Amino acid sequence: MGDPTAQLARLPRATPEEIQQLRAAYGLDKPLLGQFADYVGDTVRLDLGISQRTRRPVWDEIGDALPWTLLLVGTGTLLATVVGTWLGIVAATRRGSRTDDSLLGFSLFTYSAPEYWIGLILILLFAVAIPVFPAGLQMTPGEQFESFWAQAVDVAQHLVLPSIALMLVLLGQYFVIMRSSMVDVLTEDFITVKRATGLPWAKVVRRHAVRNALLPLVTLSAIYFGFVMGGVITIETIFSWPGLGLLEFDAITSKDFPMLQGAFLVFSVSVIVLNLIADCLYFVLDPRVQSA
Amino acid sequence: MSLLEIEGLQVHHQGRPIVAGVDLAIEPGEALGLAGESGCGKTTTALAIMKLLPPALIPSGSITLNPPGAEEPVKIDRRTERGMQLVRWRHVSLVFQGAMNALDPVFRIDAQIAEAIRLHEPRVGRAELRARIADLLRTVGLSAVHGRSYPHQLSGGQRQRAMIALALACRPALVIADEPTTALDVIMQAQVLDLLARLRRELGLALILISHDLAVLAETCDRLAVMYAGRIVESGPAAAVFAAPQHPYTKRLLDSLPAIGGRRGVADPIPGAPPDPHDAPEGCTFRPRCPYAADVCLREPPLAEVLPGRRSACHFAPWENW
Amino acid sequence: MNRVLSSKRGRFALAVVTLFVFVAVFGALLAPQDPEASSTEVLEGPSGSHLLGTTEVGADVFSQLLVGARVSIVVGFSAAVISAVLGAAVGLTGGYFGGITDKLIDAFENWFLVIPQLPLMVVLARLLNPSLGVLIFVIGITSWAGTGRIVRSQVLTLKERAFVERARALGASDWHIIRRHILPNALPLIFANTVLIVAVAILAEASLSFLGLGDPTSISWGRMLEDGFSAGAPSAGAWWYMVPPGLCITVLVFAIGLLGYVFEQQLNPRLQEAVE
Repeated sequence: MGDPTAQLARLPRATPEEIQQLRAAYGLDKPLLGQFADYVGDTVRLDLGISQRTRRPVWDEIGDALPWTLLLVGTGTLLATVVGTWLGIVAATRRGSRTDDSLLGFSLFTYSAPEYWIGLILILLFAVAIPVFPAGLQMTPGEQFESFWAQAVDVAQHLVLPSIALMLVLLGQYFVIMRSSMVDVLTEDFITVKRATGLPWAKVVRRHAVRNALLPLVTLSAIYFGFVMGGVITIETIFSWPGLGLLEFDAITSKDFPMLQGAFLVFSVSVIVLNLIADCLYFVLDPRVQSA
Repeated sequence: MSLLEIEGLQVHHQGRPIVAGVDLAIEPGEALGLAGESGCGKTTTALAIMKLLPPALIPSGSITLNPPGAEEPVKIDRRTERGMQLVRWRHVSLVFQGAMNALDPVFRIDAQIAEAIRLHEPRVGRAELRARIADLLRTVGLSAVHGRSYPHQLSGGQRQRAMIALALACRPALVIADEPTTALDVIMQAQVLDLLARLRRELGLALILISHDLAVLAETCDRLAVMYAGRIVESGPAAAVFAAPQHPYTKRLLDSLPAIGGRRGVADPIPGAPPDPHDAPEGCTFRPRCPYAADVCLREPPLAEVLPGRRSACHFAPWENW
Repeated sequence: MNRVLSSKRGRFALAVVTLFVFVAVFGALLAPQDPEASSTEVLEGPSGSHLLGTTEVGADVFSQLLVGARVSIVVGFSAAVISAVLGAAVGLTGGYFGGITDKLIDAFENWFLVIPQLPLMVVLARLLNPSLGVLIFVIGITSWAGTGRIVRSQVLTLKERAFVERARALGASDWHIIRRHILPNALPLIFANTVLIVAVAILAEASLSFLGLGDPTSISWGRMLEDGFSAGAPSAGAWWYMVPPGLCITVLVFAIGLLGYVFEQQLNPRLQEAVE
C-alpha cells in the first residue's frame, strides 16, 4: 500500500525523527486495527483528517467545494430532467415515427459517450473555435465585481458548458425512461376515458398522461445518482470547476489519501441522501402509496 | 325526430368489415339493448358513435344526433376532432367496459367529475359545482367521502358507480353503457341495473345498454337489437323479442340462458364460433352455425320488417314456433 | 447467434465490434508509425504523414489510436468476465439457498449497488499500484452487483419449476441441480447482461485512465485524452487529437450496447423455454 509519508519523506531534508513524527501525527504508527478504529471514530465525529496536499482539514476543503458541485449537479440534473422529459413525451406521442427513432439513437449515443469527452468537444466548439463561453473555472480570475449580480452573471457564464456536458450525459437515461413510461401510460383505459369526456388531446397528454408517467421516472432515475457522482469527477476536472470532483482529481494525482477517503464518504452519503429524497418525492406524488 | 340515427354504419379494419352495416334509431328517453357475443362489433359501434375509434379502424356511413334544444342536427360522421370535443360527454357519454382503470389514479373522484363539468360549462360557479357533484354522487349511491377518495381506495363496484356518475356529469341526453355489469357480482349487477333504470326515469335519459348477457338486458330495455358478426340480425320491443324471437341466433342466445326453476342441466352453448371478419362466409353470416340453414341462406338476408315493429335478417322469418 | 444476424441492427453492431476487436489484435502491426515515437512536429493538424495529426510530444495520433484499442477491448472483456463470474456465483448462491445466506448477500449487494462506482474504483485503484491487472480487478469487483441481482431473481423463478422438483425427488444434490438444471437456464440471461457490462467496463477503463489511474505503460484512449488535456490540447484547438479517441470509445460502447439490446430482445421469448 502506498504509505503517504513515504512520499513526504522524499523531501531531502526530512530526518528520521521528523518522519516518525509525521507518522504519529497521521496515526500511521498504530497497528492496522487501531488505525481502522481511529478512522471509524473520526468519521463519526466528522473529523476526516488533514489533506496531505493542502494541509487544511479535509472537512474544510469539502465544505468549500461542495456548494460548487451542488450548483453544477443541480443545474445539470434540472436541465436533463426538463429536456429529457419533454423529449420523452414527444417521442412517446410519435411512437414509431422517424422522430422517435432519431431521438432514441441520439440518446443512446450520448449515453455511450464519455462525459469528459463531451466536455472537451464543447470546449473545442464553444470556447475555442467560437469563443462564446469560458473554457474553465467558475469565475473569471482576478476580476473585481461591483455587485453580487455581476458576479452571479459571471459564474452563470462559466456554468453553461459544464452543466450542458452533464446534461447531455444524463439526458439519454431520462429520455428513455420517460418515453417508455409515457408509452405505458398512454395505453391505459383512463386516457381513452378522458378523451371521451371531450378533453382536447394536448390536455389529456399534459394533465393526465404526463403526471402518471412521471411517477416511475422519480424512482428509476434514483438508480443513476451514483453515475452522476462519477460524472461529476471527470467533468469538474475538464472544466477546472472547483467542486468535490476537482478535489478528488487533485487527491488522485497527489495520492492524498485522507482527501480521497473523505470525498468518497461524501459521495456515498450523497447518493444515499438523494435516494431518500427520491423516495419522499414519490410518496408525495403518488396517492396509491400514501394510503398503503 | 329520433335522438340518434345511425344509417349504414360500417367500420373497416385493413379492408375487412368489423361492423358490416348497422341501422339503428333511438328515441329520446328510450332504452335500447345491444346484445351479442364478444367480438360482434357492439363496442366498435359504441366507439363509432363517440368518434373514438383507433386510427386503424375506418368508419363510414352516417350518424346523426339530435340533442334536445339544438338548432341543427349534429352529423357525427362529418365532425372534426375539435367539433366532437363539444359533443362528447355534453350530449352523449360512454360508460366503459371494465371501470377498473377508467379513472386517473392521481386525481380524486370529485376532481375528475368537476373537470368534466367545467370543461363543458366553464361558467359554473364553485358552489354550484360542489352541489352538482354531491348530487351526482348521491344519485349513484356514493357518499362525499367516496368523492374525496382516490380511485384505488374504492372497490370495483364503487368505481363502476363513480364512472356512471362521471358519465352523467354534463347531463347528456344519451348514455351508452358498455358491459356495465361484467366483472361485478350478482348483487352488484342488480344494484347497477336498478340504478340505470332509476336514472332513466328520473332524468329522462336515453340509454344504449350493451351486453352479451340477455338477462341483463331483459330488465332494463324497451327495445332490443341483436348483433352478430357486425350486423344487426334482429330488433324489436324487448318483451316481444324475448317471448317470440325471430332469428335463429336470438333463439339460441335465449336458450343458452339458465332459467331458475327450469330444467336442470348444463346450459346449451351454441356450437362453433363467430366468423373471423377477415373470412366471412357467403350469404347469411350465421349460416355455418345455424341448425335451420338451407340453400336459400347462401343469399344474404336483408334486415326487413317481418312483423309490425319487428325486424329480422332471416329468410325464414316470421317464425311462429321453433 | 443466428437471430442476432437476422436483424439489421444486430448485423451492424456485430460488424462494428468485430472491427474494433480486429484492430485491437492487429493494431500494433497496422500502425503506420511507432505510437511512442516523439518528434518535433508538436500538436500539428492532419497531414500526409500524420493522418490524424500529432500529439503534444509529436507522436502520431492515428497510430496511438490503433494501438489504444487493445487496452479497451482487453480490459473491457476481462473485467466483464470477472464481474459475470462473481455476479453469477453470488446470485446463484443467494437465490438457490435462500434464508440467511440470501439476506446477507442481498444486503451486501445493495451496498455495492448504492455506492457510486467511479469514486469506489478511484479509491481502490489509488491504493494499489496502477497496472492493467489492477484496472481489470478494480472494475470487475465493482460491477458484479447488477448481474448478481438479475441472476438471483431468475434463480428464484427457476427453483420452483417442475424439473427442479423432480431432480430433488430423485435425490440429486444441490450442487448437481445448480450445475445441470439452474445454471444452463440462467446462462442466456447472464450472457446478455455481461455484454452490457462490457460496455460499462470500457467506459470505466477510459475514465480511470483519464484520471491518471490507468496503466502507465500502455497507450489507451482514455490516457490519450488525459495527456492531451493536461498538455493544453483543447485550448490549442487540437481537435484531431481530442475528438478521435472519445469517438472510438463512443462508437464501440454504442455498438456493444446495441448488441446487448439485440440479445435481450431475442432472449425474451426464450426465457420461457427451459432446458431440461
